[in-house]
Amino acid sequence: MTNSDDNALVAKVAEGDERAFLALYDRHASHVYALTLRILRDPMLAEEVTQDTFLKLWNRARLYLAERGTLLVWLLTIARRTALDRLRLEGRRPNLSDGNDPEDLWQVIPDAGTFSEESRWRSMYFAVHALSPEHCQVIELAYYQGMSQSEIAETLGWPLGTVKTRLRAAMEQLRREWGNL
Amino acid sequence: MAHAQCASFRENIPAYALGALDADEAAALEAHLRTCDSCTAELADFRAISDALLMAVPPRRPPAAIRQRLQARLPGASLSRRQKTRRLWPSWSFGQFALGMAIVLLVALNVFSLFQIQALQRQQAKFARQIQTGQAAFAMLAYPDTKSIPIGGSNITGTLLLDQEHNSAVLIAWNLPPIADNQTYQIWLIDPKGQRTSAGLFRQEPGQPFASQSIFSTQIISNFTGLGVTVEPAGGSSQPTGSRIFKVDF
Repeated sequence: MTNSDDNALVAKVAEGDERAFLALYDRHASHVYALTLRILRDPMLAEEVTQDTFLKLWNRARLYLAERGTLLVWLLTIARRTALDRLRLEGRRPNLSDGNDPEDLWQVIPDAGTFSEESRWRSMYFAVHALSPEHCQVIELAYYQGMSQSEIAETLGWPLGTVKTRLRAAMEQLRREWGNL
Repeated sequence: MAHAQCASFRENIPAYALGALDADEAAALEAHLRTCDSCTAELADFRAISDALLMAVPPRRPPAAIRQRLQARLPGASLSRRQKTRRLWPSWSFGQFALGMAIVLLVALNVFSLFQIQALQRQQAKFARQIQTGQAAFAMLAYPDTKSIPIGGSNITGTLLLDQEHNSAVLIAWNLPPIADNQTYQIWLIDPKGQRTSAGLFRQEPGQPFASQSIFSTQIISNFTGLGVTVEPAGGSSQPTGSRIFKVDF
C-alpha cells in the first residue's frame, strides 16, 4: 500500500472504475469512519458522512491532484469538512471532553526506530494525549469540532488572549515532539 | 529570513493551520503570506501537524452496510448529481429503520377480469412465498417485454417492473421507512398533466419482511407517466398530503 498505488487507483476512479473505487474504500474507510465518529460522536451520523465522503471521491476524483498531498489527507480533509458541516446542521452542542475514547485501539507507543506511515500517525496520537488537559482541550475544540478562537473563548469562558496563547503553545509542543521525528 | 513585522503574523499561523483563526485575522494573514516566504514556510510546518491530526485517530472498522450502500449506488452515482437538484423528500436517518432489514413491497397494477385477478392473486401468493428466496423479482425480470426502471430514493432502492402488454406492473422496494399505526402508504398514478389518482393503500405485514397488495386501476397503464408513494393517514387521502417516499417515472 503506497501513495503511488493510491494515485493509480484514483486515476481509474476518475474514469468510472468501480473496482478501483471499492479498493480505495477498503483501504481508507476505517480512517474516514474513525475521524467522522470522533467529530460527530454518533455512529449513525458518522455512517452517513462516511458514505457522503466516498461519494464525493467518486464524483470528484478528477479534481484530486497528487502533488498537493496524499489521497488519504485529501479524503480526510473532505471528511472533516463534511462532518463539521453536519455538526452545525444538527445544531449540536460542543463536546467538552478531551476526546479520549476507551475504544481507541492504539495502546502502544511505536518504537522510535520505526518509520512507517502508521507509526507516524500513532506518534501524533500519543503526542496529543501527552498535552496538558487545557492544551488538549483547545486542540480538540479547534480541530475536531471546528471552532474559531473566539468561539472557544466563549464556550470555555476563557479570555480570548488565553485561548490564543494556549493554542499556540499546544501546536508548538506538537511540532517539537512530533515534527522532529 | 523573518522580518520584524512578521512577529504578530507568525503568532497566528498555528491557529490558521487548524482553521481556528477568526475571519478578519485570517484575511490579514493571507495577505501577508502572499509576500512572505518565511511565514509561508512556517505555515507548511504547521499544516503538517494539522494533516497528522487528521490521521491521528485510531482507525475503526466501519459497518458493512456502508460499503453495500455505496456499491448499490455506484452505477448511478453520477446520475445522483442530477437527482439531487430534484430532491423533494427528506433524507431518512439510518436509525429510523433496522439495518439489514429488507421491506419488500409487491404491488400489481392492472385492469383485469375477475379470472385474471384471481390468477394474479395466485401468482402474487407464489411471488410472496418465493420472495424470501429472492426468486420472484427474477421471474418478473424474465417476462418478455418487461421494462425495468430503477427506483432511487435517499436510502431506498428497488425496481419498478412494467409490463405494458399485459397492463401490469410490479413494484419492489427495500428500506421503506417505518410508519406509525395510524398511517398508511398510498400509491399514486401520475398522468401527463401531473394529476394524481389513487391506486391503493398498503401497510407492511407484521412479522413479514415485505408488504403485498393488489391494485386495480380503471385506466390503462399507458395513460400514466409515473408512480409515487406517500405516507398518509390511515384510510388514505383523496389527494397526496403526506411526505413523498419516492417517485418513479415510467
